[in-house]
Amino acid sequence: MMMKLSYLLLAGLTNGSVYGLIGLSLSIIYGSSRVINFAQGEFVMLGAMTAVMFLATLALPWPVALVLVAVVAIVAALGLDHGVYRPLVRRKAEPLTIMIGTLAAAIIIYGIALLVWGPEQKFVPPILSLAPIRFGFLMTNAQQLAIIAMFFGFLVATWFLLYRTRFGLSIRATGVNPRVALLMGIRSERIVQFSFMYSAFVSGMAGLMIGPLLGGQIGMGLLLTVKGFMAAILGGLGSPFAAAAGGLAIGLMEAFMAGYGTSLYAEPAIFVLILLVLIVRPYGLLGDYEAERR
Amino acid sequence: MTANSPPRPTLAPVIFILVLGALLPFLLQSGFHMRLAMLIWIYAILSMGFNLLYGYTGQISLGQPAFYAIGAYGFAMLQVKLGWGPVPSFIGTLVVCAVVAVLIGLPLLRLRTHYLAMATLAFMLIQHGIANRWIGFTGGQSGIAIVPLQWGGETIGRTGLYFVVLGMAAAVLLLHDFLVRSHVGRAMQAIRDDETAAAALGVHVVKYKLRILVLSAVIAGVAGVCFTLTSLRVDPSLSEFHVLVSMLTIVVVGGLGTRFGPILGSVVVVLLPQVLTGFGELETIVYGAFILVFLLFLPHGLSSLIERRDFLAAFKARKPAGTGKEAAE
Repeated sequence: MMMKLSYLLLAGLTNGSVYGLIGLSLSIIYGSSRVINFAQGEFVMLGAMTAVMFLATLALPWPVALVLVAVVAIVAALGLDHGVYRPLVRRKAEPLTIMIGTLAAAIIIYGIALLVWGPEQKFVPPILSLAPIRFGFLMTNAQQLAIIAMFFGFLVATWFLLYRTRFGLSIRATGVNPRVALLMGIRSERIVQFSFMYSAFVSGMAGLMIGPLLGGQIGMGLLLTVKGFMAAILGGLGSPFAAAAGGLAIGLMEAFMAGYGTSLYAEPAIFVLILLVLIVRPYGLLGDYEAERR
Repeated sequence: MTANSPPRPTLAPVIFILVLGALLPFLLQSGFHMRLAMLIWIYAILSMGFNLLYGYTGQISLGQPAFYAIGAYGFAMLQVKLGWGPVPSFIGTLVVCAVVAVLIGLPLLRLRTHYLAMATLAFMLIQHGIANRWIGFTGGQSGIAIVPLQWGGETIGRTGLYFVVLGMAAAVLLLHDFLVRSHVGRAMQAIRDDETAAAALGVHVVKYKLRILVLSAVIAGVAGVCFTLTSLRVDPSLSEFHVLVSMLTIVVVGGLGTRFGPILGSVVVVLLPQVLTGFGELETIVYGAFILVFLLFLPHGLSSLIERRDFLAAFKARKPAGTGKEAAE
C-alpha cells in the first residue's frame, strides 16, 4: 500500500519534473517574447538523441558529452531565434503566426533528426546508475533522484537569475514592456536570444536525463511539447514557477490516475481536468500575475 | 487589406473555381488523381471553417480536427449502429457537431489567444484519446467501415462521389464567401482587430464568436462526412496531429483571412507531398521549410499574389516598407 503510493509518487515526480522543466522553458520564452515555442519538445528530443550519439555511439566520457549536448541544444535555439523568431518579428508578425513558425521549425528539427537517427527507438545510456536504491519501503534509483534534484536545481537557478541579478531585472523588464525596456537601454533582442538559449539548455538537459527512463525516439518531442504547454497553461504562462508547478501537478495526476484508476484513460482524463481548470480559472491556477497585466 | 480593396468583390472567381472543379473529372484519368482531387476539396472545406474562425474572427481553435473526426465518426456510427440512411445521418452528424461546439464554446470562448489555442488542443487530444481507447464504442484503432453511398439501388461510382464532395464544397464555399462579404464578415473582422472597439460599435462579441465557432465546427463536420464518403472508413488518425499541421499549413500558404486562401492552400498542401516524394528522406525538412518560407516572404499567402493581380507592385510595395521601418527605429 505505502509502497505503491511511494512508487507512484516518485514516478509522478520524475515525469512531472520533466514536464515542469519544459513548462518553465516555455514560460521563460513567453515572458520575454510573447511567443509559445512549439519546438520546445524537440529540444528535449535533441537532448536525448545527442546523448545517444555522444555517450553510446562515440563513447565519450559523460562530462564531455554533457557539454556537447548543451552545445547542440543551444545551437538549435540560436537557429530558431535567428531563423524564425527575428525575421518574423521584423516583419511584424502576430504572436500566433510566430507560433506557427516555431511549429515549422519543429518539423524541420524532426526532419533533420530523422535523417541522423532514423525512426527506431534507441536506448539512451544513463549517466547515473539505474540500479534500485532502497530507503525503507521507498524504491528508487539514482537517475530518478537526479532528475528531481535537477528540477529543483533549475528552479532555484532560474529564481536567482530572475530576481537576484541585474540581468534578470532586464529580462523581467522586457517581459513587462519590451518597448519601454528598449528605451531604458535594454537590448530586448538579446534578452529574447538569451531566453531561447537558456530554455533550450534546460530542455536539453531534461532530455539527457529522462532519455534512459523514457527511451529515445525522434517522435518523442511532440507529446512532450504538448505536456509542457499543458503544464504552463495549468499553472499560468506568466510565471516560470507556476508553469513548473503545473508540470509537477500533471506528472503526479498522470501517475495516480494510472496507478489507482485506469492507465488506459490516464491521458485523456488529464486533458479533461486541464479543460475544467481553464474553465474555472482562465489564466491558469496561479495565473493572476498575467491577468493583472492585461 | 484585401477586404477594403476598392473594386467590389464579385461572385465571378467563385464560379470560375467551381466550373474548374466540375471539369476536373473529365481531365483526370486515373482513380488516384480523382482521390487527390477529392482530398483537396475535403481539406479546403475543413480549412474554410478554420479560416472563418481564425482568419476572419481571430479566434484560434486547434480543435478543428476533433470536429472533423466527430463528423466522420458521427456519419459512420449513425449509419452502422443506428441504421439511419445517409441523409438523416448527415443531418444528425451536423447537429451533433453543433451541439458539441456549443458545449465547448460557451466556457472556452472566454479564453484568449494562447490559452484558447491550448484549451482547444486539449479538446482535440481528448477526442483523439477516446476514439483510440473506447474500443467498444468507436472501434479503436481499426475504426468503423461503412457501405458505399447508393443512389436508386446502385453504388455511386468515383465520379459521382466526386460530384457529391464538390457539391458540399460548393455549398461551403458560397456560404464562406457570402458571410465574408456581408455585414457578418465585417463584424467578424472588427472582433478580430479589436474586441472592445467592436463591442463599442454594437457588435455582440460573445454571440458572434459562439456562432462562428459553431459554424466552423459544422463545416469541419461536413469535411469529415466527405472523408467518410470517399474512404469508406473512419479511424483515430482523423484527429491526429498531422491533420492539424496540414490545416494550419493550408491557411498560412493560401493566406489567412482571404476569400480563396483555403482552396489555393489545400491544392498546394495535398499536391506538395506528391512532388516531395522525389526528395525521399528530405521530405519532412522541405515541408517545414516550405511553411517557414511562406510565413517569412508571403505572410498573406498565395492569395496576396493573385488578389493584387500584379506581382511587381506587390514587391515594390514591400521594399520601401522594409527599409522605412529600419530608418524609423
